[in-house]
Amino acid sequence: MSTGAPPETARPEAAGRPAAARRRARRPGGRPLLYTSYAQDMALLDTRAKKIWFYGIVLAALLASQVLVDDMLSLLAMAYVVAIGAIGLNIVTGYAGQVSLGHAFFLAIGAYTGAAISGDPDGRVLGLGVTSILVWLPAAGLAAALAGVIVAPLATRLRGLYLAIVTLGLVFLGEHIFKEWDQLTGGPGVGRPAAVVELFGLRLDRPGPLGSKEQQLYLLMLVLLVVFAVAARNLARSRIGRGFAAIRDRDIAAEVIGVPLTRYKLLAFAISSFYAGCAGALLYTVTGFFDPGSFNLLMSVQFIAMVLIGGVATISGSIAGALFITLLPRLTRELPALVPVISADTTQTPNVFQVETVLYGLLIVLFLVFEPRGLFGVWIRVRNYWKSWPFSY
Amino acid sequence: MSTAIRTTTTTIVTRVRDRAAATPDGVAMREKELGIWREVTWAEYWEQVTLVAAALLALGVEPGDRVAVHMENRREWLYCDLGTVAVRGITVGLYPTNPAPEVAYLLGHSGAKVLVAEDQEQVDKALAVADECPALERVVYVEPRGVRGRYSDPRLMAWPDFLALGAEHARAHPEAVAERMAAARPDDPMTLIYTSGTTGPPKGAILTVANIEYAVERLVLGGGFTSPPPSERDLSLSYLPLCHVAERAFTVWYNAAAGVQVNFAESIDTVQANLREVQPTILFGVPRIWEKVLASVEIRVGSATPAKRALTRFWLRVADRIGDALVRNHGNHTPLTRLVYAVGWVMCYRALRERLGMRRVRYAASGAAPIAPDVLKFFMGIGVPMHELYGMTENTAIATGNRPGRVVLGTVGEPHPGVEVRLDEATGEILTRHPGNFAGYWRDPRATADVLDEDGWLHTGDVGEWVETPPRRPGEEPMRHLKITDRMKDIIITAGGKNVAPSEIENALKASPYIKEAVVVGDRRPYLTALIGIEQDTVGEWARRRGLPYTTYRDLSEKPEVRELVQGVVTAVNARFARVEQIKRFAFLPKELDHEDGELTATQKVRRGAIANLFEDLVEGMYRT
Repeated sequence: MSTGAPPETARPEAAGRPAAARRRARRPGGRPLLYTSYAQDMALLDTRAKKIWFYGIVLAALLASQVLVDDMLSLLAMAYVVAIGAIGLNIVTGYAGQVSLGHAFFLAIGAYTGAAISGDPDGRVLGLGVTSILVWLPAAGLAAALAGVIVAPLATRLRGLYLAIVTLGLVFLGEHIFKEWDQLTGGPGVGRPAAVVELFGLRLDRPGPLGSKEQQLYLLMLVLLVVFAVAARNLARSRIGRGFAAIRDRDIAAEVIGVPLTRYKLLAFAISSFYAGCAGALLYTVTGFFDPGSFNLLMSVQFIAMVLIGGVATISGSIAGALFITLLPRLTRELPALVPVISADTTQTPNVFQVETVLYGLLIVLFLVFEPRGLFGVWIRVRNYWKSWPFSY
Repeated sequence: MSTAIRTTTTTIVTRVRDRAAATPDGVAMREKELGIWREVTWAEYWEQVTLVAAALLALGVEPGDRVAVHMENRREWLYCDLGTVAVRGITVGLYPTNPAPEVAYLLGHSGAKVLVAEDQEQVDKALAVADECPALERVVYVEPRGVRGRYSDPRLMAWPDFLALGAEHARAHPEAVAERMAAARPDDPMTLIYTSGTTGPPKGAILTVANIEYAVERLVLGGGFTSPPPSERDLSLSYLPLCHVAERAFTVWYNAAAGVQVNFAESIDTVQANLREVQPTILFGVPRIWEKVLASVEIRVGSATPAKRALTRFWLRVADRIGDALVRNHGNHTPLTRLVYAVGWVMCYRALRERLGMRRVRYAASGAAPIAPDVLKFFMGIGVPMHELYGMTENTAIATGNRPGRVVLGTVGEPHPGVEVRLDEATGEILTRHPGNFAGYWRDPRATADVLDEDGWLHTGDVGEWVETPPRRPGEEPMRHLKITDRMKDIIITAGGKNVAPSEIENALKASPYIKEAVVVGDRRPYLTALIGIEQDTVGEWARRRGLPYTTYRDLSEKPEVRELVQGVVTAVNARFARVEQIKRFAFLPKELDHEDGELTATQKVRRGAIANLFEDLVEGMYRT
């Protein structure tokens, strides 16, 4: 990728063609590779196939709210929120190449900010009583982004393994603070209610005009995921996105070609933390209650797993990875029925929970060895096989 | 149509002017610039043409003055060509590959007053010989890189300055260009097209306004080639040198007369990539291009994964059968082949054609040199309607063409309506007579007299014969196609006194993906031999798959395994010819033939004389026992 669109008047004779710039770009039909303007070249849905697939999948997801059972819907709603968080991690780790193990910390900040703003003022724990999602969701994101900005200077000094260790430290710091700050978090083992979802005076966590609680939350999360995903995809193709990629590939080279390192690393952490904060605030609205012990190292590792299994530096990969990791437990629960050796009882060995843990580890290893580009890489491989038909390249 | 001063003579310039008035926002051409196909509308095109015309007036170009254009295919080529015609000048095209001595000859012989050179490379060639060309007053350069601020020759002028000069002149004399255009007459010489000259120096054929208008009427508007005739919805890719009459016809004339959208390829090396992007509807190619596409299919199928390879090979065999059926039916499908093709279209041909950039081609043509029928059959089989044409500079490319649905493979088609074509009774030479016959060679009345006789017949120098095809249904006229045996002067007479047409044998050899060049030798010799140049891409790929290491072109062609491979091809070709026409021995050319070294003409045709001299020892070696 280059660092920016070349100026329109790169050639002298361009000055002699004034009408060209004003006219809307067009192209003859059925020629997807014939770009007559940079806008076409950069379009997100640049082929008809992509358009059909994108709108088709969104439509299918919308229809799913009417078809699937509530139990499944709440699981999917959860997966969509997790996907927002995974996109956030992919921005800083996948696109900008800054390995962060501290993602759980930023999720926690978002979760508690959202919960505190919308919480009951007369309740057991801290609450301001502003229940509108339009207020607490951006606030949660911004609070996390602020934390990201504070952490970012570390990233400008450290890279690779050192940065990973430092961000790991954040998780431990956070875990300690949230365990001790009973007034905000309710304390370990007790927890506190999650943020209250209210949109234009409508409580979405109660049955309403759009259906049951699960259906409403599912639709909300779906809409938010689409918004966040499109925004991230747009960011990735912009100047900032190309700057991130340059830093990932070689930070010194990026600086030489004019990417301001400090500012871009700061931006990467801020945007990533914003996504994490929003995801954190939404994450527990489905279950309604959460415990400070949830934001531990395991959570960070799960997000890393989503990015790696889904596909580094891809938005659709992040979503696929998040869906995969979130739905994996549901799949392993079905195992005892198929494989009698595995037990559903925790007291026996092997049981489904052990299988699940082993599977996480195994999947990360297998993906890194055989398909480093993740699920997205598998898709690319399949697509290229058919795209290059009847040749191989 | 609605301009202040009406011109009485229609030229390609008035056609562009009228189109710009009728559809100012339609797309006239596209050129790839920094990764984007920039569009030029008809209004912009016309504006640029008038600016160039005014600038030429400002430089004092009088009617009949020559303006030389030395560029790759690009927008400015067309601006200069039409601008020159607008001021009743004569356009002289130079091949971008012309080395400096040839540039000197062409500039000197044509006496060009203004030269528009593309870049530093062409400017250098011109300046090196400028002192031998006293008539040359101005050298306009289009690409400033390396020229501006470094060269101080007073004759140099940058393209923007050139246009500014035109704009200034147009302000001072707003009607000057229109007045000059109005004075145009049908017998005005419009362009000099220098023939490639396989023997001797190039000769400049003069084509007049009337010649080209006749060509436009016959070939473009009359649908001489395509059916239905070309329109604004058609796209073409311009990649062959514009100084050649065929590319000029398919690019400039098709564009001006029918509004075909011209897309300029980035260079000859990117043609395959550009084809994929543009997916033209009308595609003209020389045999070398079609042979190369065929070879690339061979390479890419060979290196595909086993499943794809097996499937594609299967469908290519089916395509071969479909091709056979099409050939039998003069390019028409039978219900059975149509059905088989439909299945193959889903499985292979659609994707294959998309990859080759020929998915939307509705009319493909080969011309300018003889081609092996097998190559044409391949394209017909995969669904690219392929037609062989015949014509030459001296008759404004109007002679014969295979019409859609009336194809006879191995022939160059039927004469266009209203065009007289006959064979000389004694020699079998093809003669044509029609208003497109050229006005003569520039400053060479003797050469003109050699080819244009007093009855107006043009002696083409090609030997041909008629191929009669019985009517398919009773009541229809039998079809009469022209088959070209060879160039008259290329006919080989062996020591045994037998006449042999080498091009047929050469093309049969070149139809193999492994052979790029084949030159048959044997004039006044006991038997025929051939100099063969391998196609490095395919043979290299073949060697790689066999684990055969090689370094250079020469090293590769000297491998005994490669000799065996080519021997196989030669033996297969020999089986199709009579004993006297068989190649007894062959030798490999030690290098790839090149225009710069004088082995090829600018149109990539082999200069037999030069080859015979350069590789004399190789030839002699084949006749030593």
